[in-house]
Amino acid sequence: MFVELSAPSRRAAAGTLFLAALLQAAPAHAQSGKVRRAATQPSTEPADTKAPNLRDGQAETRLLAVYKLIAEGRSREALAQAETLARDYPNFQLAQLAVGDLLMSRTRPIRRMGDVPEPDTARSLQVATTLEELRNESRQRVDAQRSRPPAHSIPAQFLELSPRSRHAIAVDASRSRLYLFENTPKGLQLVADYYASVGKLGIEKSLEGDQRTPLGVYFITSRLDPATLKDFYGAGALPINYPNPLDQSRGKTGSGIWLHGTPPDQFARAPLATDGCLVLANPDLERILRTVEPRSTPVVIARQLQWVAPHAVQADRKSFDAVLNAWRNAKTQGDMNRLLGFYAPDFQSYRKKPLNEWTQVLQAETRALKGRELHLKDKSYLRWTDSADTMVVTFGEVAEGARTGPVKRQYWARRGQQWQIFFEGVIG
Amino acid sequence: MKQVRRTLPRLLRLLALTALLGTGAAQADDYTEITQLIKAGKPADALAKADQRLAANPRDPQLRFLRGVAQADSGKPADAITTFTKLTEEYPELPEPYNNLAVLYANQNQLDKARTALEMAIRTNPSYATAHENLGDIYAKLASQAYNKALQLDATNANSVKPKLALIRELFAPETAGKPGRPAAAAPATAPAVVATQRPAPPAAVAPAPAPTPAATPVPASAPSAAPAPAPAIAQAPTAAPSATPAAASDAAAVQAVTSAVQAWAAAWSAKDMQAYLGAYDKSFDPPGRQTRSAWEKEREARIVGKSKINVQLSDVTVAVNGDKATARFRQAYTADALNVTSRKTLDLVNQNGRWSIVRESTGG
Repeated sequence: MFVELSAPSRRAAAGTLFLAALLQAAPAHAQSGKVRRAATQPSTEPADTKAPNLRDGQAETRLLAVYKLIAEGRSREALAQAETLARDYPNFQLAQLAVGDLLMSRTRPIRRMGDVPEPDTARSLQVATTLEELRNESRQRVDAQRSRPPAHSIPAQFLELSPRSRHAIAVDASRSRLYLFENTPKGLQLVADYYASVGKLGIEKSLEGDQRTPLGVYFITSRLDPATLKDFYGAGALPINYPNPLDQSRGKTGSGIWLHGTPPDQFARAPLATDGCLVLANPDLERILRTVEPRSTPVVIARQLQWVAPHAVQADRKSFDAVLNAWRNAKTQGDMNRLLGFYAPDFQSYRKKPLNEWTQVLQAETRALKGRELHLKDKSYLRWTDSADTMVVTFGEVAEGARTGPVKRQYWARRGQQWQIFFEGVIG
Repeated sequence: MKQVRRTLPRLLRLLALTALLGTGAAQADDYTEITQLIKAGKPADALAKADQRLAANPRDPQLRFLRGVAQADSGKPADAITTFTKLTEEYPELPEPYNNLAVLYANQNQLDKARTALEMAIRTNPSYATAHENLGDIYAKLASQAYNKALQLDATNANSVKPKLALIRELFAPETAGKPGRPAAAAPATAPAVVATQRPAPPAAVAPAPAPTPAATPVPASAPSAAPAPAPAIAQAPTAAPSATPAAASDAAAVQAVTSAVQAWAAAWSAKDMQAYLGAYDKSFDPPGRQTRSAWEKEREARIVGKSKINVQLSDVTVAVNGDKATARFRQAYTADALNVTSRKTLDLVNQNGRWSIVRESTGG
């Protein structure tokens, strides 16, 4: 009998696992767990068919806890936790991969994450591709936890958000991350963030079928009932208004960009996996579905979010306040020349209505005011800066003495030092 | 059930049980007889014999263990599982029943149960090599299932391959049991009854490993060999301790020759030189289990050549020579890839025309 395998040294082998480099995320991650717990709100919807512990974000939290144990060389505990995780989320591929590696590390050294034995050639390409995607997903999840947004910071796009928007969403494509905010009287508060997949060919959608996810400022347009959707979309879907007026002015095409869930046999999809949609794990999407309201919830999708302190955008907000107030004064006074000076020559409203037709609308509106002052309520300014500088403005237009008025959205472009409206329309 | 019969014989190690086992001579003969029947492929006869003896000694763990093996071999896995399960309940300190339970579960593709049983076996006895090898197979199998799920591969092929595990056929780790006819002085230093709960032996300074203190075991350790290890009768030449004086010059030369042979064997193993490695074993070498020599060689080759790097270092080598026979005991530090195992080993060698070759290899001692 030959003793080639034995116990004591095995521990060490298991500890040398793959995450030495991947894993310094521990403290930040623990913090995020707290944030999440504090923010968890009781669901008003009836409990779905799944076990109650399948809370949003929890699978990732537990996966990262496994990684942390591995990094600390506590492979026995890591394996136990990974196995429970894989039992609770059998289609969470990263959990299964961690189980495989942790088990395999007891029989031979693991050189890197997902050290799957050489597959037969027929499958090797498929296996290599899937493994690479899983490693990318893992890296994205770990990185997102390692560099958490600074406390109380907001994405720079949110210059001003009206209380009518009770929630807001921002997506950092470089991190495969979706951030969900609650718009409180004290400003935007980050309540949760989730791993999210984007287009197979990445971002900056410009053409129909280009398998890219659009970048820009969007709004959720509706909520689609999962019962009406194919299994492929998972827990449900929230379409967004791509192409928006800025996209249209740039000739971008395509449609049907949604936030949606994952098919039943897949907990999460690769970082680059969709035809342009944003895809989240079903528990995460469910939380969003029951939290956000269609129409008033902005969705900012950026290549990389820039996180700033709320007061840092104050100056920009004030200076744009002045611009919008000048427009309001011109409209109140019915000074058509001055008012039209705010509109860009390439202005278009819905159905490509050009400025000369829109002028008639403006004239009718100013006449209807009959000298009453125009008030702008519930203003939101969302700033989108790429090759151009765009302000997406939403407000309620209420004449003095009136109780309600139309909700309008304008797209302003900064041309030199001057802001000009290149789209205006009533949204509700 | 065919599966069991095909996979079980792989790694078994069969050695004659002796009176040294620590129980009465008559009973030891019974064990030997049942063991021989199992070895001879007559599990039904072995089972009948075990049942007959158990009528007189219904509690005897050794008999019950052999009965379980006979049940497994005669196509009664459910009975065997019951037998071994009861043994684990009554003697939780014995690793062997856990191991065999695991083998039976694995053959039914109940890998999680197999794993739990093997982990218990190892918790019971951390140096239990067979359980480690079996558990390694189970881990690898479970890992490949997890990988298939991770990669969302169709796992039907992979799942149909059951791990091949070794059933232990004797209670009380026979590799440490003495061999009949061995010089008295070379008699096993361990009380066999203790082996079931043996911890890795501490390195012996000069003398062969002394008996570990008998722990609580079901079989009384009444054998005289439980006494402290006596001085070697012939000679003792620990390479690490050259101060030991050989009894005679010719013996010294023989000890030297045996030591070289053993070191050459270790070197060939380290170098993965299969020709030299297998050449170190005599024609009369009895491969473990019911394996043929060629099956054993194939297995060794697979195990050795399959490693990317092997290093075998011997220390505390003591050699006892008795005419054309010799026994070398040493501490073997085995490193393969990331594995690093130190264990005690005993090699029995014979001298054929001035060349010492291995006739028996066992761990412990």
